[in-house]
Amino acid sequence: MLFTYKSLWGKKPRLKSSYEVVIIGGGLHGLATAYYLARDHGITDVAIVEKRYIGFGGAGRNTAIVRANQRTQYNVPLYKEALDLWPVLTKELDFNLMFNNCGNLNLMHSEAAMKAARMTIATAQFHGVESHLIDAKQAKEMVPALNISEDITFPIHGAMYHPPGGIVRHDAVVWGLAKGCAKKGVHIHQQTEATAIHTQGGKIAGVTTSQGHIKTPKVLVSAGGYSAGVINHMLGLKLPISVLTIQAMVTQPLKPLLNHVVSSGAYHCYANQTLKGEIATGAHMDPWPNYTTQTTAHYIKHQAEALSDWLPCLRGVRFMRIWGGLADMTPDMAPILEGNDPIGGFYMDCGWGYFGFKSCSAAGKYMAQFIATENCPDMLKPFNLRRYEKHQLMGETAALVSYTPDN
Amino acid sequence: MALTLTCPICGKRNGYEFRYGGEDKGSRPDEKGLSPADWCDYVHMNTCTAGVQKEWWFHRDGCGAWFSTYRNTLSNLEVDRPEDST
Repeated sequence: MLFTYKSLWGKKPRLKSSYEVVIIGGGLHGLATAYYLARDHGITDVAIVEKRYIGFGGAGRNTAIVRANQRTQYNVPLYKEALDLWPVLTKELDFNLMFNNCGNLNLMHSEAAMKAARMTIATAQFHGVESHLIDAKQAKEMVPALNISEDITFPIHGAMYHPPGGIVRHDAVVWGLAKGCAKKGVHIHQQTEATAIHTQGGKIAGVTTSQGHIKTPKVLVSAGGYSAGVINHMLGLKLPISVLTIQAMVTQPLKPLLNHVVSSGAYHCYANQTLKGEIATGAHMDPWPNYTTQTTAHYIKHQAEALSDWLPCLRGVRFMRIWGGLADMTPDMAPILEGNDPIGGFYMDCGWGYFGFKSCSAAGKYMAQFIATENCPDMLKPFNLRRYEKHQLMGETAALVSYTPDN
Repeated sequence: MALTLTCPICGKRNGYEFRYGGEDKGSRPDEKGLSPADWCDYVHMNTCTAGVQKEWWFHRDGCGAWFSTYRNTLSNLEVDRPEDST
């Protein structure tokens, strides 16, 4: 079959004139929601409309880190479930998601950070998530390349060690879920841009796409960084979101030297070694909102300076590739999962910032339940949109790596 | 992602000298009869425009002036008027 293209998940479906559910955005949250709608609720009359190709956005641009050591009691259970789902999904989808359970190490650079780590660890342990505090010497034993001397910009006081986390191959999750969706009858429409969402009497009536009009009573917008703009443009609803470009890069491949995901809030830098040997690194966002996904010399310099401080063996190593993606940041660093408010049949799954990858499986599962039953599952209730006007912002900004929406 | 902004006092300067101050939402609403939803709208809500938007900026590493300007969020270029989209 030379020169003929057939996608991994099956033949291209024809766009029908009506669907039970339309999902705008063929990223991981959209795919996971569609998968669980079909698997758990028997709803297979679902269309995923994707402007470009599935996995074009954050799904293929994140640095593939998974963990469940967030700050608040609302977030931890959701991320824990997401973490527990990787091995389950690997079996269920019959697709190797390459979950590398290497564990995460969050470096602490002050006594105040050590205190904050104790709080975060207590939260994790309370929810049955393994997480420990270790001192600098123990961190050095785990990661011999670490510079624990006192003469660097931010000397290392200790670390938060979270063994259940690690790395999952993000593209495999896209392909595996797409295959799982298609097998159950979900229609994946690539190169199909949603251009308008129609309402009638306060309820969802349909979606206009570049390939035709669709009648539907339920719409989910899960378009990652584009969600807030899309929702405001099509429905006039404003969200407490700022969209920033976030960059990441990889070095040339090296012999194994890093067996964990290591991150530092003070340096605004994280690093892990991929299975190919590259050091994948990133962390900081642009200081002003934009949709450019452009990369900058300013940022490469920052990463090089940070890495050569706390991982000095990387001095002189070359960066091979750099790329950018979008992070949709909320003021309390927690997502917005909302439905039927203020428009009946309208659901949103956005505001994940840079946590969209690690949460996608669990978020999809519960969003599917929300859409199928039309009742918000308890797990998602804290993430409602009304919390902002009630001044009930979540405490996630107290996490160890904290950025504000406007960075 | 290079950005050049025009400070009303210092003129054209490198974007990294400035602090983004949010989407320009106009003057602070009158507190009399202000509902939580309206206040939330002023404090938190954004349009997240993919295109030209009016923004607040602060010349942090310069003269300290606060000012409004138009910027295209798709190109990171400052423009004179909202209808300019370069």
